[in-house]
Amino acid sequence: MFRLLYAFLVGIIGAGIVHIAIIFLLPANASNDAWSRIAAIAEPYQPVLLENVEPSVLPASQRNPFLRAVACRFDLSDGPLRVSAREAVPFWSMSLYDRSGLNVFSISDRAAPGNVPDLLVLTSKQLSELRNEMPETFDQSLFVETDVTQGMIVLRVLVPDESYVRQVGRALGAISCKPI
Amino acid sequence: MKTVLATLLALIIAIGGGAASVWFLLEEAPAADGLNIGPWIAYPSLGTRDADPYSRARFVRRGGVPMGQAEGIVFTARTDSNQQTLVSGCTYRLDGPMPVARFWTLHAVDNSGRPLPEFEGRPAALQAMQVQREADNSFTITASSQAHPGNWLAITRPGPYQLLLTLLDTPISTGAAVEEIRLPTITRVSCDV
Repeated sequence: MFRLLYAFLVGIIGAGIVHIAIIFLLPANASNDAWSRIAAIAEPYQPVLLENVEPSVLPASQRNPFLRAVACRFDLSDGPLRVSAREAVPFWSMSLYDRSGLNVFSISDRAAPGNVPDLLVLTSKQLSELRNEMPETFDQSLFVETDVTQGMIVLRVLVPDESYVRQVGRALGAISCKPI
Repeated sequence: MKTVLATLLALIIAIGGGAASVWFLLEEAPAADGLNIGPWIAYPSLGTRDADPYSRARFVRRGGVPMGQAEGIVFTARTDSNQQTLVSGCTYRLDGPMPVARFWTLHAVDNSGRPLPEFEGRPAALQAMQVQREADNSFTITASSQAHPGNWLAITRPGPYQLLLTLLDTPISTGAAVEEIRLPTITRVSCDV
C-alpha cells in the first residue's frame, strides 16, 4: 500500500517535470513557424501574397476580408533592406518577425511621411554607416532599426471597398523588397 | 514484481499526466494572456517576445503572422453579452461605442476561423466607412441570416459562428488602460423556432 502511494507521488512529481519540459521544448523544436513556412515556398526577397497560401502559413483566423498582406524574407548581412511601393494605399502597417516567427517590431503608416509604403530595415551599425552619407533617395523612407539579422517582414494594406481593389492590387503587385 | 509495477505506474502517471495537462492548458483552458472585454477577447502579446511560455507554446502550434501592437488588435466574440453562443438561427444587435482607432472591420467566421461565404456578393463583413450612423455618430449593426434594414451583417452559414472585430492603429493594443476600453455589446434580439 505504502509502495503504491509512493509510486503515485513520484508519478505526480514526474508529470510536473514532463509538463514543464514539454512547454519549454515546444518552441525550440517547432518547424512550422512563419519564417520556415515562407522559406519553403519563396526565395529570400521574393514578395509573397498571403492570400492563396496554405493555412499553415497564415491560419484562417488571421485573414481579414478587408486586409491584404505581403510577406518577404530578408537577411540583413546582405545589406539594409528596402521595402517600397510605388503607389499610395489607404492604410498600411508592417510587422517584423524574427527567424523563429516572433513579432519583434511593428509600425503603422501614422509614423510615415506619406501614404506610399517605403521602409528601410537595418541594423544599428548599418544605420550609423548610412547616416554618415545619407543618400537623398531615402528622404521619404521610414527607418526601422533592428537586432534581427535573418527575418521576415509582413506588410498589410487595407482595402476598404471594391473601388480600392485595383489600386491596392497594383501597389502590392509592384512591391519591391530588396537589399540596397 | 511489486517494484516493477510501482515504477510502471509512476512512469504512466508522469508521462500521461504531463502530456495531458499540457494538452489541456493549450487547447481547452482559457489563455491567461487574454484581454477580456465583455464577450470579446484578444491576445495582444501572442507571438511576441513578451508572451508567457504557454502563450508561446500555443503560438508555436498555430503559427501564422499575428498583427503587431502598432498595427492593430483583433477581438473575437464567440458568445453574446449573456454568454450564449452565437448561432446563425438568431438575430443579434451590436451597439455601443467603438474604441478610438484609425479604422475598424467586423467580420463573421466559422469555428475554424474561416470567413463565412458571401451572400449574393455581400461579404459577411462590415467596415467603419460602410456603416450608417445616427445623428450622434452612434450606430447599430444587426447580425442575422435574414435581411435587415440599416447595417446588416449577413450570416450565411448555418450553425455557430464567431465575430472578429479588427481595430487598426489603436491605442488599445499599445497599452491603454484596460478598464477604459469599451467595445460594442452583443444583444440577442430574436431566434427562429
